Amino acid sequence: MEALFISKLRPLLDAVAAQMELYVPRRVGKHYVYGRYDSRSDSPVQPNDIRACTTVKEFLFPAREQVAAYPKPTEPQAVKPFAVFGLKECDLRSLVILDKVFADGDFKDPLYLARREKMFIISSDCADVGESCFCGLFKGQGFTTSGFDINVSVIKDGFIVEAGAQKGRNFIERNMKIFGDVPDTLLAERDQARAQIKNQLERKTGELGLGESIRDIVEDSLESDVYDIEAQSCVECQACTRVCPTCHCFYLYDTKQQDYYAKMKIWDSCMRFSYAMVAGGENPNRILGDRLKHRLMHKFVHFLDRYGIEMCVGCGRCIDADAGGIDIRDVLKRLSEESKGTSEAKVAK
Amino acid sequence: MTENIYQPINGEIVEIIDESPTIKSFVVKPEESFEFATGQFVELTLPGQGEAPFTPSSSPSETEQMEITIMKAGRVTALLHQCTKGQPVGIRGPYGRGYPVDDFAGKDVYIVGGGVGLAPIRSLFLTLVERIKDFKSVVCRFGARTPAEFIYKNSLFGPWQDIDGVDIQLTVDQANGDWDGNVGVITTILKADDVDVKNAVAVVCGPPIMMKYATLKLLEFKFRPADIYLSMEKNMSCGFGKCGHCMLGKYYVCKDGPVFTYEQIKDYPKTWA
Repeated sequence: MEALFISKLRPLLDAVAAQMELYVPRRVGKHYVYGRYDSRSDSPVQPNDIRACTTVKEFLFPAREQVAAYPKPTEPQAVKPFAVFGLKECDLRSLVILDKVFADGDFKDPLYLARREKMFIISSDCADVGESCFCGLFKGQGFTTSGFDINVSVIKDGFIVEAGAQKGRNFIERNMKIFGDVPDTLLAERDQARAQIKNQLERKTGELGLGESIRDIVEDSLESDVYDIEAQSCVECQACTRVCPTCHCFYLYDTKQQDYYAKMKIWDSCMRFSYAMVAGGENPNRILGDRLKHRLMHKFVHFLDRYGIEMCVGCGRCIDADAGGIDIRDVLKRLSEESKGTSEAKVAK
Repeated sequence: MTENIYQPINGEIVEIIDESPTIKSFVVKPEESFEFATGQFVELTLPGQGEAPFTPSSSPSETEQMEITIMKAGRVTALLHQCTKGQPVGIRGPYGRGYPVDDFAGKDVYIVGGGVGLAPIRSLFLTLVERIKDFKSVVCRFGARTPAEFIYKNSLFGPWQDIDGVDIQLTVDQANGDWDGNVGVITTILKADDVDVKNAVAVVCGPPIMMKYATLKLLEFKFRPADIYLSMEKNMSCGFGKCGHCMLGKYYVCKDGPVFTYEQIKDYPKTWA
């Protein structure tokens, strides 16, 4: 479907909100946080220039939910269609990753699938590069051509809207009256803006100087001291994994409700002390540095080997959230320098 | 709607057998017939309290009920030990990959087990015995800390020893009372000529320290790492390779294991941790 023009966001968002619950990012301090769209108070709406600090995983894989019941299985709540506005390329990439875990393969998660099917994705191009953004490392370019229902690009005098998946095409066909045609000059303006962000990302990636394969850098780091050194400032807040759009570890626990027993699924974190501990008390990851190592090995080696994609999108949320100031870019950089033999990281533990 | 992978099958504890001071076997009857392969595991739920992973110790040919041997080691297992007959439970599974019994055909099967590690081994043993003629021999070397701590005493000290094609030797770390068998750790009863190493597979299950030294001994006997099968213990939660807890290098123990060959996992630094 060709691109269309709309001068203001409000008619578009109102048309979406007329059909389903719509969530939009709102500026809170330096960051964007998702909330339910309200046509009266959210006008005028500005698209978020970079990704929100909350993640798309929260819409599909809530921090805590009931997954089973005893003695009688309960019918899962019917999921209503909902829309999320302002998802960025990195957010869509995180969906690809979560889909591999929960939607593909032999054990499909019915709760994730139900939400995923009802989600209407309105992505938008990045209009800036955040201080912590490093998606360029994973070929991120600040915009995307797939994985969305509708994509919105900001231009000087309005917005260019494009449909991706069938759901998006249907929506646009039903709401044709709110859109106009796009002259080629505006498309050129959009492409220029995209190229500019892409260049910025490439430049930033180049500055990291990480070389070719993150996988090899991390895989070769089993004996490295870098993890222990970097983890020294970790306060075990686990924020890095909670805000990560791809971290998906969870824990199942059982609890008593009013008149039945429930099995709950709750987000877990590999940075938690007893995460890998077995009943007898053995714990392979007692040491913080080992937990950090596990996290990176999972993200850049094991997940990649199993699913063909790194479990990191370079969104930098973990950098923004980390109370201990651990910057995953610095960890990778030190590991890279160490593997090249240029590091001074080898110090006594 | 997609089948709910988190929903257990309802069941009931129909019998409880005291095995040792810290170990009990629970006979569990699921409401529907339940099939598994020997070495696979299940998640047993104590409703409202929690669930934990166990490898059934009964033969897979028994599909009406299964036996699960449980050592009191943590919160859920301590609660299970307080249960009485009739206790409702939930069962999820079976999960993972068990012992490739068909690949053992025509070979000596050398089984090394210790402590509560005899639980999965009992299931394997019963499976092998059901078709004992398919194997050259079944040679068992089992250990426990003390004679009282051996589980399945009634079978071990009696009928299992008399099965044609089966050779069983036992050892304890510390003897007391009327024990007249071997005293010493498991490696003291492993001998290079117990089996024809070139045409044998070894199966090891027990506490990590025992598995480590038994494996090293088997390597000394020139067992190929690919012929040593290990049952790995991790804190499996979901059972299907999603929740992340049981990662061992690139593997999810719950999905790719719990039975691994030493070849698969020998290069990971925390194999025995």
